[in-house]
Amino acid sequence: MDPTLTRIAEAEIEAEEAGARPASPWRNRKLVAGAVIVGVILVSTFIGGLVWDTTLARAATSPLNLPPFWVDGGSMDHPLGTENSGRDMLALIVVGSPTTLRVGLIVALISMLVGVVLGFLAGYLGGAVDAVIRILSDTAMTIPTLAIMIVIAAYIPEMNATTMALIIAVFAWAGPTRMIRAQVLSMREQGYVRMARLSAVSDTEIMFREMLPNLLPYLAASFIGGMSGGILAAVGLEALGLGPQRVPTLGMIVSQAIEGSAILRGMWWWWGFPAIILMVIFIGLFLIAIGLDEIANPRLRGART
Amino acid sequence: MRGLTWGYVARRLGMYVFTLWLSATIMFFIPRLSGDPVEGMVARITMQSGHVAGGEELIAAWRERFGLDDPLFVQYLTYLRNMLTFDFGYSLANFPTEVNSLIGRAVPWTLGLLTVATVLSFVLGTVIGALLAWRRTPRLLRVLMPLSLTFTAIPFYILGILLIYLFVFTLRLFPVSGGYRSGLTPDAFDPAFVNSVIQHGTLPALSIVVASMGVWALGMRGMMITVEGEDYLTLANAKGLRPGRILFQYQIRNAMLPQVTALVLGLGGLVGGTVLVEYLFGYPGTGALLYQAITNADFTLIQGIVFILILTTVTAVLIIDLVYPLLDPRITYERR
Amino acid sequence: MGDDLPRPLGPAELSRRRFLQGTAGFALVPITATLAACEGGSPSPGGEGDGDSRRARTLRLPITSRIASPNLWNPMAPGMRDDAGFQCALSEPLFMLNYETSEIEPWLGEEFTPNETLDVWTLRIRDGITWSDGEVYDADDVVFTIELLRTGPAEINFAHAIEMQKWVRSVRKVDPLTVEFTLTAPNPRFQLDYFSVKIFRSIVILPEHIWAGQDPLTFENYDPEQGWPVFTGPYKLASASENLVTWERDPNWWGAKAGFQELPEPEFIEFEAAETEEILVARASNNEFDFLDDITTGAYETMHGRNESMVSWNPDRPYSWADPCTRLFSFNTALAPWDDRDMRWAVNFAVDKDEIVDIAYEGSTTKAAMFFPPYEGLERYVQLLEDEGVFEEFPILEHDPDRAAQLIESKGWTRSGDGYYTLDGRELTLQIDTPTEATELSRYAEVIAEQLERVGIRASLRRLAFPTFADNIKLGEFEAASDFSACGSVSEPWYSMDLYHQRRVAPVGQASGGGATTTGGNGVRWANAEYSRQVDAMASLPLGDPRIDEHFVAAAREYLRDLPFFAAAHAKKLYSHNTTYWTGWPSREDAYIQPPVVWNSSHRIIHNLQRA
Repeated sequence: MDPTLTRIAEAEIEAEEAGARPASPWRNRKLVAGAVIVGVILVSTFIGGLVWDTTLARAATSPLNLPPFWVDGGSMDHPLGTENSGRDMLALIVVGSPTTLRVGLIVALISMLVGVVLGFLAGYLGGAVDAVIRILSDTAMTIPTLAIMIVIAAYIPEMNATTMALIIAVFAWAGPTRMIRAQVLSMREQGYVRMARLSAVSDTEIMFREMLPNLLPYLAASFIGGMSGGILAAVGLEALGLGPQRVPTLGMIVSQAIEGSAILRGMWWWWGFPAIILMVIFIGLFLIAIGLDEIANPRLRGART
Repeated sequence: MRGLTWGYVARRLGMYVFTLWLSATIMFFIPRLSGDPVEGMVARITMQSGHVAGGEELIAAWRERFGLDDPLFVQYLTYLRNMLTFDFGYSLANFPTEVNSLIGRAVPWTLGLLTVATVLSFVLGTVIGALLAWRRTPRLLRVLMPLSLTFTAIPFYILGILLIYLFVFTLRLFPVSGGYRSGLTPDAFDPAFVNSVIQHGTLPALSIVVASMGVWALGMRGMMITVEGEDYLTLANAKGLRPGRILFQYQIRNAMLPQVTALVLGLGGLVGGTVLVEYLFGYPGTGALLYQAITNADFTLIQGIVFILILTTVTAVLIIDLVYPLLDPRITYERR
Repeated sequence: MGDDLPRPLGPAELSRRRFLQGTAGFALVPITATLAACEGGSPSPGGEGDGDSRRARTLRLPITSRIASPNLWNPMAPGMRDDAGFQCALSEPLFMLNYETSEIEPWLGEEFTPNETLDVWTLRIRDGITWSDGEVYDADDVVFTIELLRTGPAEINFAHAIEMQKWVRSVRKVDPLTVEFTLTAPNPRFQLDYFSVKIFRSIVILPEHIWAGQDPLTFENYDPEQGWPVFTGPYKLASASENLVTWERDPNWWGAKAGFQELPEPEFIEFEAAETEEILVARASNNEFDFLDDITTGAYETMHGRNESMVSWNPDRPYSWADPCTRLFSFNTALAPWDDRDMRWAVNFAVDKDEIVDIAYEGSTTKAAMFFPPYEGLERYVQLLEDEGVFEEFPILEHDPDRAAQLIESKGWTRSGDGYYTLDGRELTLQIDTPTEATELSRYAEVIAEQLERVGIRASLRRLAFPTFADNIKLGEFEAASDFSACGSVSEPWYSMDLYHQRRVAPVGQASGGGATTTGGNGVRWANAEYSRQVDAMASLPLGDPRIDEHFVAAAREYLRDLPFFAAAHAKKLYSHNTTYWTGWPSREDAYIQPPVVWNSSHRIIHNLQRA
């Protein structure tokens, strides 16, 4: 039988089995799963902040090197154990997770906003504006970003989470800009836009009323991408010891654990818990990204995997 | 030439040169923010052997020798000239070793590791992606593959350490660090050396492979599925062509173009991203060298390495832009 | 550029691609297991010798970073690594200071005596010394070297050039074994400071017949055909690469022939790179290293648990040996409100030094009352202060948060709602600079910050790369710092005390020093005339002279009263040695010389090692 017909038949059967077609493309399974994961982390750290004493995340506040409570020598006072400067692991995670997420958020927001503005300008207006923006974004992508970040981070006197996020954002805007520019370029020639231009609608109106809504899945995807990329870059900086020092972040906890020979000493709880949380965050964002991908590209929705 | 016009080529070349210049200029200023290299050397000696008397004169003398006291503009022009002639001068922290010799020693490692790793991950990833998108892939593979791809989501750094611990310390399967076993002289024809290189390079190469594999796979899958819906494919099916032929001649061929683009872009840019990999595995490539240079505030070395990185990236991009229209006749770069 | 495609890539793919590519490298998958099987089960990590017997004849030591220039053996070039055997195998010093006995022991030099006015010093060289290529080592070489340092470019001050310029008016050969130095001013410490391996290194005497006519800065001094580098040590360079340097015992060593000492037992010395603590400890547990440089307490305990032959200097807590650069907490006394000595004393009372030892050091160091390291020669002076009751007058080691509160509040500060002190709307803050490279320093800085927060001072840390950190202290652009700027005295007190002389004070924004350098020389900007006078009085007195005592006590009183900085703890060096292949290491029980094995003084250790 013809494969195309096979596929249509299969899709119909699937839809029947599922009960009904999903009401909106946004109710994508992967998207929801990912969003739920990230949401759970956010909420639990918020609750954790209310319930657990966050001052224990500071040095010299707890006994050193305690294992988690289910291991010999641990105690319920410090359920996830402590590290070698007397910080409580649970407190560290409760404080560190939102900080890490915040870094990702700032990077994502900035890079998306800049990307929208510059991408639209470049794609829609073309010409010299386009050339300038392309050169700038090319340069931003060309320079080995990690190298620059290391240099800048070494120079900043007081590195806190926001500063680190800003540094990362300086390099993060190039990708979304180019992507949005590409979309705008292709959308510009489409029927409805041409119609709008012919009917003398102002450029800004075209951009915001007509084109932007269609870009939403792409924007969302770029936002999520910016968030993962931001957290990843932050972890990269932190791995080299250049992250914010006063407020803990998940990456810093891990890098301090390595510095303190945690693996060697068998103190798996020191790097293990923050590592797990980081992994969960990334998997969540990853699922959201795939979900958004499928929304943006309807053909992917029908695919079997 | 189909698709290419002289005007386009000229414009691209112009942008290439301009981007190069802009990046180089930025790289001139930034290392200078990171402190004084001689100051750093003295501080380190102080930490080792106590107070260094005469430190001021020492620092002043070195600054003069390296031209760090010249007006900024003069330094800048000298810098530009050096970059163009590939004469990066002496390394500030390792005087009198020359930057070129340091880079020369490190580059083969990075190139070797990265080229192998990237090509491997590209091939594996693309194959997996294609298989994932193909209707006829066996069920078992369909389930296993996405699982392996979720590893992509996990921060490299953390798993890298865990695996070093697992495979290096506990299981003793792989060497601890470095590019090759100490004591062996680098000689491409010595089998012991080659074997040692492979041993040391396996873990770093594998981490790159498995991680980036996911990227290629997802990209390929996306493209394949997009292509699958195309009309010409429906026609091919209708014509009754063999599925295998459809897969290779039509789906993969059309999906490959963006993949290859990304590959070349990736190769150009990957050289810059290896700091973390080399740092973690103690691999003696340009990434580790760059990190060392940054911590020592070794301007000349930083500038030398970064310039080469910039050059490779921008050139890769230029090649793509010029070659692309040749590959895909549908693309035209005429201004609208 | 890929974005002019008629059919753009899915946006999520592009952005995902970007972020995933951006950091090159991710997780692994059990593919490795398969690959490992293909490798055929590779041999154990790291380089080994050619078999057991060779290992038992080799002394294996680690270096913590790769050697950038393995062909550079010029001690005056900043790029030369002298921790890979130059100091302990190749180049021998004229004299060695023994921290444990405070005596200056002769090695290549026999005697170095000053005249009455301490401005003419006469050096007598041992008879029978030859360079490794057979040429005689004599006064000509000494004169040549000193002249080179005096008249050469200032850049070679990594070899003490500037100090030679400053102190030596002329140097002349009296006879083949005697050299006379005429100084520009009396200096009782001339031999001690420059020729006795005071800390790590000393002036390296160069062979004239090789160095004459060479550019001291760019000369590589490497030529295996001719046997270069040529020095007098009992080992010759067999091979040098980025991560392995091998030394081979030289049967023609002058010392054995001249009856000075027997040839050392280790036939080979190998230095191998091991960059991280994990690697160091793993290899040591496997008996691949015979001596480990400083490691963390936790790592040591784990390693000792795995391999009992790895023993630290001190088998019980505190395991470590104290190194010369005592860890300090320094204030910028030019900045309010820390220009007030009461406020500084308040901080001292707020700081719990026991907690610093327990938490920041995990128990591996000891408290320090003064900024001197606990060596025999200096302990005597600190004891003097104790005997004179100075520490009762100034209870430097006391932890008394109430007294701290009292002092602060007496200045008008009041505690606000959130617990911090305020005055006229300003909060009481203190920013502590700490270098990123030195974990030890930042750990205790963290603990101190925490302790200050507890008493109501808003303390924050500012982590800087070493060059910037040092620069800030030099220029006075800091509030407080965890540093080691008083480093210098190891057997007599004047050197470190003079670093805080008022003549070195410079206004904020200008380099402090007056001939001193980055992390030394009164970065705290403390000007005390009485202190300076007492220190000056000590300057020209011969070493160990009893007249020093009263000046010392008077100066110490001034320092303690003003407290421009205080000692946080003794500097920790958790060295450990391996008794599997070699015994005869210095240790707490058998402290025949200080323990560092890469210093120029370690010739003593190497000669003392025996096969286990």
